[in-house]
Amino acid sequence: MTTNHRPSQATDAPAEGAPEPAVVLEDVHKRYGDVRAVDGVSLRVGRGEFFGLLGPNGAGKTTVVEIMEGLRRADAGTVTVLGHRPWPRDVQLLPRLGVQTQASAFFVRLTAREHLRTVAALYGADRARAESTLAAVGLTEHGDVRVDDLSGGQRQRLAIAAALVHDPELIFLDEPTASLDPQARRDLWEVLRGLKGAGRTIVYTTHHLDEAEELCDRVAIMVRGRITALDTPHRLITAGATTTRLLVPAERLPLPTARSLPGVLNVTTDGDVVVLETEDSGPVLAAVAEVAGLEGVRTRTPSLEDVYLQLTGTAG
Amino acid sequence: MSAYAALSAAGYRAYTRDKTTLFFTFAFPLLFLVVFGLIFSGQEVDETGRPYISYIAPGVLSWGVANAAVFGVAFVLMQWRRDDLLRLIRMTPTRLSAVIGSRYGLALVIGLVQAAVFVLTALLPPFGLELSGDWPLALPVLLLGITAFLAIGVVIGSFTRTPEAVAAVANCVMVPMAFLSGSFYPLDAMPSWLQTLSWALPLRYFNDGVSAAVTGDGGATDVLAACGGLAAFALVFGLLGLRTFRWSDRT
Repeated sequence: MTTNHRPSQATDAPAEGAPEPAVVLEDVHKRYGDVRAVDGVSLRVGRGEFFGLLGPNGAGKTTVVEIMEGLRRADAGTVTVLGHRPWPRDVQLLPRLGVQTQASAFFVRLTAREHLRTVAALYGADRARAESTLAAVGLTEHGDVRVDDLSGGQRQRLAIAAALVHDPELIFLDEPTASLDPQARRDLWEVLRGLKGAGRTIVYTTHHLDEAEELCDRVAIMVRGRITALDTPHRLITAGATTTRLLVPAERLPLPTARSLPGVLNVTTDGDVVVLETEDSGPVLAAVAEVAGLEGVRTRTPSLEDVYLQLTGTAG
Repeated sequence: MSAYAALSAAGYRAYTRDKTTLFFTFAFPLLFLVVFGLIFSGQEVDETGRPYISYIAPGVLSWGVANAAVFGVAFVLMQWRRDDLLRLIRMTPTRLSAVIGSRYGLALVIGLVQAAVFVLTALLPPFGLELSGDWPLALPVLLLGITAFLAIGVVIGSFTRTPEAVAAVANCVMVPMAFLSGSFYPLDAMPSWLQTLSWALPLRYFNDGVSAAVTGDGGATDVLAACGGLAAFALVFGLLGLRTFRWSDRT
């Protein structure tokens, strides 16, 4: 296994005082025909942890989540979820899990409220939970709209509500913010933070790296069925060999001057700015201040996105 | 609210809010009654001397009820699987029995209402059906008939993936069976080998049972035989349905 970043001992250990980890995968494999969708994945999600699973399309994220949910059976390896085996279907375990459904999975011709009440009843949850969950995802006003008439973002939020309506311990979300507008996305972040604050464990997949950086305690980056990195976003970024970029207005810094500055590794132009790459931004910034002044100069420190692109790019 | 009650309520709402399906479920058999009534108006069936309506009404009735039972559950199962709604239900602690049970309850209500509307219409002067005093015997026949055809619908809905496939397969099963079981045409008028073949079809028993109860011909013995045949088909297709049932099209 090509591990660029080994999970550190400290973050891989289950949270203190927790009876058992929420999820333990040990050397899990799953193939579809000749395709190794999941190729030896081991990971551990502690109780109360917000765990992100990142990776390009087709990396096997959804399959890993579906194996955790018990929707798919692993070909090899062991899977333990809240101390149970999720496969075969275990009706004792299921009420403790919350699963975001596909945005198509609604009872036809019911209203949003009726749909959620039905789901609550299927979980044996209290009817009043439907109302509070509708409010939590911001759909109270749309409660009487037929599910077929909801907008894409509203359907997405209703699908998330189905994962929360029975107050589960462990919540699986598959790209929950994918089709939400920026405001709805921020609102959902608050809902998710609230759930984490209430001690719930969240496992989720996303393509929004800024969001993963913002929300997740730890992230795993998957490429071609394997985990290539697993750590806190902060450590991944620090460990990544990415450089800081300085963006200087082009008219104030001619390219030859930029190249001659000490500590600059690479110079490129991007529209009306000159981009300087450096490993040590302090001295370069001082040099830029001298020749061009600091007005309009921006710095871009490495983000999870840089690490992600590096890992998925080199491996893919 | 139990899972069974919740699914029944959701199914009932979805059904009654779908005015088109609602209309045709009840209008379709009536349409056949009118068409055949016009074609064979005033004619009597050879040999027996009974009016044609007493042949056709029970046949069209049992076919209409069977059709609704097959199509209803087959469409719902296919659609629920395709929309991943079955996946949602599968992730809740809901038992499969509650899922099928809720559809069963709904199918029974629809079938009984269909039968009542149909018989009341057939009693009107233009059709002139004469209802026998044995008519309550039709209830166990309807119950078992709906059960058997619902089970067939579960099988069809479990291996089809599109609405087109459901319609094609269900029609392929139900239309030839309607003719071969004497729903639209008296079996007496068919070649004897076809009459023999008809005993292999569940609709034959459904027709015979409803006919015996509604017209009073044959009485309790015929009804009992029909119930036995339908129960056997219900058992076979019920087991087959449980074996073919899938929560998801994906593996």
